[in-house]
Amino acid sequence: MKKLVFAIAFAFFALSGYQMFAQEPELSPERKQAIDSLALEKVRDLSKYVKLIGSKNTPWSEANRVIDRAEELFAPDAEIGVSSLAKTKIEYYRVRQYLERLMRLNYDRVEIDWYKIQYVSDLQRQPDGTYVGVITIFQTFKGYDAEGRLVYQDTTKKDITVYVKRKETQIGGRLIGFWDVLLGDMRVKETTHK
Amino acid sequence: MQVINYSKQIRKIMIKHLKSIIIIAMVALVSICGTTSCKSSGKLSKKEYKAKVEQAKRDLNAILNNETEWTLEEQQARVNEIKKVDFSKKNPEIMELIDRTEAKIAKEMAERDRLAEEQRLAEEQRLRELEEQNKPKTELTDYFNMIANAKDVTTANKHIKDALQLFESPDVVVLILITNYGDYDKPTTAVNYLNYIKDQKKVNVKVNDIKYNSENKITELELIKK
Repeated sequence: MKKLVFAIAFAFFALSGYQMFAQEPELSPERKQAIDSLALEKVRDLSKYVKLIGSKNTPWSEANRVIDRAEELFAPDAEIGVSSLAKTKIEYYRVRQYLERLMRLNYDRVEIDWYKIQYVSDLQRQPDGTYVGVITIFQTFKGYDAEGRLVYQDTTKKDITVYVKRKETQIGGRLIGFWDVLLGDMRVKETTHK
Repeated sequence: MQVINYSKQIRKIMIKHLKSIIIIAMVALVSICGTTSCKSSGKLSKKEYKAKVEQAKRDLNAILNNETEWTLEEQQARVNEIKKVDFSKKNPEIMELIDRTEAKIAKEMAERDRLAEEQRLAEEQRLRELEEQNKPKTELTDYFNMIANAKDVTTANKHIKDALQLFESPDVVVLILITNYGDYDKPTTAVNYLNYIKDQKKVNVKVNDIKYNSENKITELELIKK
């Protein structure tokens, strides 16, 4: 009897999952490309925010505003990994905590640059309609002392999970369909001297 | 016999003074003709004067009662024509009609001029508003570029403050279309989008649609990815 109930329940969920999946047709290549680009652009936006937050030239009020904007890019419980050449352990922080630490780094001048921002895993549609992919970035970090000497430098490869989900909202009596891009955990893959 | 002689004498005198008689007769004729011509240009005959009075009354009353299709200028010209005849001694009624008609024409001309001026000002205002309506589209794009290319944060913030004057409020919705299939980026607000341009130092959108309120302030902005 238990087996029968389980089989019926399984068939029901499988069928409803299939129906949900079937209700949302595959995106055309053009639309899919637009969404890929949108997610990639969010990561590029984040790279600018990280640079601004880390820079000692950014006024305090501006840095705080940028922290708010950067935090909005992430899913609520996302974490960011921090590595150091001096430590083997990778520390993970909540996004806001990471960004606030970045703003207060104990250097007189900080240079952060992201490059080679690209997909390592293309956006794939999940059964709930969310598209999930992984974007990798390389970050160079340089910290200078008061005399302008470079006292710390590293390059870190990080993987960022991206979630893209279609949502709808009512604006001015119109139903607007938009793609909500949220960044998930940013995992450190490797850290080198360069 | 005496009568015949007398007659002959007269004839002789007449022949002798024929030249003078002809001259006198011509002078008399010219004088008479001159008087007659005066009657047609200056002094009117009773009949003519009466006709003029009647016509003047008819025309003046027609103007006063709006029963004529003359323009105001034509009405004034007619009154001026009537005024050439001196009605002051015999027809004070016409003089009063002339005064009333002239006052009416002057009032209507002033009203017409006032309406024309009002229309001119309204048209000027309409053109100004039309120009203003078209302006923000260009100005907004200009602001985008000015913010993106600002030399420092202070300058960028000043441009943002100025650009926000174009919006009904800083929280006006900004939509960004990413495809031609109705796919949008997450909606944002005017102030956040202008700050986004400042932070990212780039403008990769163009204006797709703008909605305004009655004060010509932007109430909704739709951008499209270039």
